Amino acid sequence: MGVIIGPRVIDAGVSLLSVLVSPVPVAAGFPSPAQDYFDGRIDLNAHLIKDVTSTYVVRVSGESMTGAGISDGDELIVNRALEPHDGAVVVAVLDGELTIKRLRITPRGVILRAENPAYPDINVPALSDLTIWGVATRCLHHV
Amino acid sequence: MSKPALMRHMPQIAHVDVNCFYASSERAFDPSLEGRPVIVLSNNDGCAVTRSPEAKALGIGMGDPWFKLAPRAKEWGLVALSSNYELYGDISARVMELLGRYSAWLEVYSIDEAFLGVKGSPAELLAMGRSMKAAVRRNVGVPVCVGIAPTKTLAKLANKWAKNNKAFDGVCHWDSVPAPEREALLGRLSVEEVWGIAGRLTRRLNGMGIFTIADLVRADPVAIRDKFNVVVMRTVLELQGTPCIPMEEERIGRDQLIFSRSFAKPITTAAGIRQVMSVYGQQASARLAKHGLQAKVLTAFAGTSHFNPKDTSYPSVCVPLPMPTADPVILTKAGHALLPRIVEGVRYARAGIMVTDLRPSGNQAPLSPFENPHEERHIGTLLEDVTRRYGRGSIGLGHGGIRGGPDWTMKRDMLSPRYTTHWDELPLVKAA
Repeated sequence: MGVIIGPRVIDAGVSLLSVLVSPVPVAAGFPSPAQDYFDGRIDLNAHLIKDVTSTYVVRVSGESMTGAGISDGDELIVNRALEPHDGAVVVAVLDGELTIKRLRITPRGVILRAENPAYPDINVPALSDLTIWGVATRCLHHV
Repeated sequence: MSKPALMRHMPQIAHVDVNCFYASSERAFDPSLEGRPVIVLSNNDGCAVTRSPEAKALGIGMGDPWFKLAPRAKEWGLVALSSNYELYGDISARVMELLGRYSAWLEVYSIDEAFLGVKGSPAELLAMGRSMKAAVRRNVGVPVCVGIAPTKTLAKLANKWAKNNKAFDGVCHWDSVPAPEREALLGRLSVEEVWGIAGRLTRRLNGMGIFTIADLVRADPVAIRDKFNVVVMRTVLELQGTPCIPMEEERIGRDQLIFSRSFAKPITTAAGIRQVMSVYGQQASARLAKHGLQAKVLTAFAGTSHFNPKDTSYPSVCVPLPMPTADPVILTKAGHALLPRIVEGVRYARAGIMVTDLRPSGNQAPLSPFENPHEERHIGTLLEDVTRRYGRGSIGLGHGGIRGGPDWTMKRDMLSPRYTTHWDELPLVKAA
């Protein structure tokens, strides 16, 4: 038994996952006008992860960043290779825990800011007093 | 005396390895483990195989059994973790990928160490070593040390020195260290600290009056070859600065693959061993297929625990395969050749299979009478695809079984989350 996809008959025993197929199932007689333009589906990894070696996915627990659109249970894409800069959303190590905050670097010191008025900011004298675990680049927010 | 430019830039070897690799991988995702004594346990939570420096300071030895440590763990604040192979495998791959950016000449030597071919002036090499160390720490999250030297054996030694002497800050370029200091080190270290020299060899060398590495460096390589073999001679030459052990692109498992575990609960029946063989047959098939290899010979073995000196049994059988193959059905069947040698009622503590005489698949098409019926039908690839998509244990061949894991599968009671490979076990970051 074969499965008809585009102009080819592919043995169902062959991994369909590894075969690039046309997006449009087509009646056997008429080739799809779209198939010459098909270059593969959108690959989220390619678009969301710039540097696979340095990138981890973490899950948010808590409400302190809701003002930045980051909610409890959302996943964050975190790149450890990025230089932490003023305004970045960072994962910092606080009391042995991975914690997410907005990093503000000001002339008067460094602030780890919560994006929710119900939670306090944390002030530190300098960036070198902090262990920044990584810089968040994307939030996978559950809508 | 100035050397010509080419001489000044002879290729050197960088040896990079992760400090306390398993424990460091755990700490990367659980910073609360920083500064605390951490050990990682072997398969089935048997004994300590990785110890953080804090755990070593408590006097915990390599291989100390967990049941002896457990009663005091609380009082020590000791954290014991099961081997999280999913995590370590991913972290290892990331480290190697990153190191590969420094040199195309990379030999992955084990899960946590690699050799790299590097070139440059002493200052450049030192800078490169420091850059590697910083990049792996920052980008992947684990600490490494780097040793750079003219030969692999010296690079290993330089790395060990970098680890043990704080002054190096984790990076030692052998040639940059003043000669008197190097000689003092070699005069201090016992020969067994040298890569490739161990146990019996040490005793025989000692018998010849060779106790320290400095003694070995002074030995005549030819006399060493005559007394021992060419391998020991190479070690001497390497210590003297002559590269003799070439870089190998792919070392791991090129000549053999072994699948072996000790069981959480002893197996006492041939039927139980049959199931084990089925699982390993499939794992071997998947691994061979992944590397584009076929095996010619399969060895199946089982054994009783060496803690239990009575009723010992160590059956093993070597099966030449009908054709080079990666077929799970054929490999499994070959493994079953062990079954007649299993003594019913004996408590087998471990079993495994080893495939050897590996060759790239598809080089020579077998003659048609020997064509492999299962490979024809893509059973191997099918199993592999389903496993990749739905996880290990979602499909199985015959006695490999699928449901709930047979009770001999590995015990990992203190397993940390598989942070980087399982969506449901991602590291949690606190928003509070």
